[in-house]
Amino acid sequence: MKCEFCGREIPADHVQKSCGLCAGGCRKVHCPYCGHENPATPAYLRRFAEKEKKNENGEDRNQ
Amino acid sequence: MSSSSTHHETRKIILVGNPNVGKSVVFNALTGAYTTVSNYPGTSVEVSRGHCDIGGHRYEVLDTPGMYALLPITEEERVARKILLEEDPFVVVHVLDARNIERMLPMTLQLIEAGLPVMLVVNILDEAERIGMSFDVGLLQEKLGVPVVGAAMARKRGLSEIRAAIAGFDREHRARFAYSSDLERDILKVASLMHGEYLLDRRALALLLLQKDEEIQERVRTRESGATSAIEKAVNEIVFERRVDLHLRISLERKRICKGLLDGVVTQREGDAPPFAERLSAWTMNPWTGFPLLLLVLYFGLYKFVGGFGAGTIVDLLEGGLFEKIVNPWVIGLADRFLVWTWLHELMVGEYGIFTLGVRYAVAIVLPIVGTFFIAFSVIEDTGYFPRLAMLVDRIFKKIGLNGRAVIPIVLGFGCDTMATIVTRTLETVRERLIATILLALAIPCSAQLGVILGLLSDTPGALVVWSLSLTLVFLVIGFLAARLVPGERAMFYMEIPPLRLPQARNVLVKTLTRMQWYFLEIFPLFIIASVLLWAGKLTGVLDGLVKAMKPAMYALGLPADVAPAFIFGFFRRDFGAAGLYDLQTSGLLNPVQLTVAAVTLTLFVPCVAQFLVMQKERGWKVAVGIFVFVTLLAFSSGWALNRLLLLTGWLS
Repeated sequence: MKCEFCGREIPADHVQKSCGLCAGGCRKVHCPYCGHENPATPAYLRRFAEKEKKNENGEDRNQ
Repeated sequence: MSSSSTHHETRKIILVGNPNVGKSVVFNALTGAYTTVSNYPGTSVEVSRGHCDIGGHRYEVLDTPGMYALLPITEEERVARKILLEEDPFVVVHVLDARNIERMLPMTLQLIEAGLPVMLVVNILDEAERIGMSFDVGLLQEKLGVPVVGAAMARKRGLSEIRAAIAGFDREHRARFAYSSDLERDILKVASLMHGEYLLDRRALALLLLQKDEEIQERVRTRESGATSAIEKAVNEIVFERRVDLHLRISLERKRICKGLLDGVVTQREGDAPPFAERLSAWTMNPWTGFPLLLLVLYFGLYKFVGGFGAGTIVDLLEGGLFEKIVNPWVIGLADRFLVWTWLHELMVGEYGIFTLGVRYAVAIVLPIVGTFFIAFSVIEDTGYFPRLAMLVDRIFKKIGLNGRAVIPIVLGFGCDTMATIVTRTLETVRERLIATILLALAIPCSAQLGVILGLLSDTPGALVVWSLSLTLVFLVIGFLAARLVPGERAMFYMEIPPLRLPQARNVLVKTLTRMQWYFLEIFPLFIIASVLLWAGKLTGVLDGLVKAMKPAMYALGLPADVAPAFIFGFFRRDFGAAGLYDLQTSGLLNPVQLTVAAVTLTLFVPCVAQFLVMQKERGWKVAVGIFVFVTLLAFSSGWALNRLLLLTGWLS
């Protein structure tokens, strides 16, 4: 996922890591580059959100 | 042929670059179908390996994880650099996105100054040309001193040129770029003390040491047994001398060199340039145009949308319409029929009942306000406006002991101060973290509190202006004093600005729903617990005692004693307190002066329980209690002063 503040790509393994500070499970992903708190997409919205990524300008073909 | 001789004859091509620039497309085009993907030894990071034959030579091709600089931050970047340090490449192919060449070229410089055999692939040329950019690849090659190939690998454009450049690659040819004389002097001072064997150039190692790269420090320690202390001493002296601006200086120097390199290389077609997004981006960061634009964003995003639509229209509909007229009478009717015990009746539907207070506040007042705030926040975030805001306020923030980096916790504070207090740990110095924590506890209202207050005050002419001015004044004066009184180092701020873009509806929707979900899951149980505590307080007489104790303070502020519970609610949660004020206002208990004084005092008043606990966790008991006492005293004295001023001048009367 991309950080919504600095625009850098947050590595996949970092997305799965939790800082353990949220009560009831972590729902945020802190960018390792700037510290911005990005919302972690819940499972029921993941497919909907991923559709958006594929539509983004040429991102998929440039992996 | 023996396996060992094969190993010696196989040259290595290492592909590096930022994420999403097309490295894997180059990798697949070079290697074809037969590749292996495995974790890099000792890590969970995957690295792809494949083979290809070019000009009669066998090559092993490695596709590294995305990296932004030679100084690593993430595990992926650490692995990518480890590969560069240990795999002895025949050629390092740096792939970058032509559209963002100015942002990505500094890494090419770092690879070159590290003494690596670099070749540059300017990829996604087709997209760059589509937006009117054209490139003189030959000139860039001449200026950089390493082979440069223009490509659009998704269309297989440039593949044969890449293969030809690899076949004719001259490993012995090395380019060199010079920084300013004082920085060069520092680099030389450290590099000249190193005598061990390294795969990277000593200049690059010296720069990484100056930037406190722990892995490089360890490597140098193992290879420089005799000179380690002299190197560390030299590094520490330089870092101490230049502690304020070393990182910034290095980044700006690289940016300056890249600007010179790209001069004449990249041109924007007449009529296409500069695009509106680029002009708008520049306006948002220029103080003359940036602040009016910020006011527009605040007016339409917060005042009209969150305050007017969220706290006004939707809350009226849910609270005044749905809950007051339909849901509450029905639930109270049920309770009247089935809950015969008075204490249980009170607990469920009484003055501080779980349903009549907790559920109503959470669902009918706070949720619509937070929801509209999150929509506005997500739209603004999706456009890429926040990093520009950071650049805009950097100068002002420096006056209050912070810098543009503090925009992240301060902006997040408008969402939730508790989480924002955690995020202050991303600030560079202890001093900045402390100042940001104080300001968050004092003058930054959370989204729900902000929304309710905007909704409350927007009906009273002038009240919102007085409230905004009071908060801004307190924020700046306390920040200004803290900057002078809190000891410690001042940090510099530098960041790359991502492109400005149109918000994507789907993206905004996903982010808003995600944020609303976690917010609701977090607040709902707390609102219920707060209702139960208030009910218990009322039953035992503790609440009455507290209200009585707060009476003198309320009278000093010119407020009726009935406002005291709103302050007590505020300690449970800021939004709970604001919702309490909302109830008082709708009952017609406050005049415009009292409403404004109560809103200002309540906004400044103590952080909620959760924020207090996080402050204790992040800054320790002494600091947390100190901030609590300071904020409480300041809130009441500011409220008292404002009340006197408003009564004296007759404003809002």
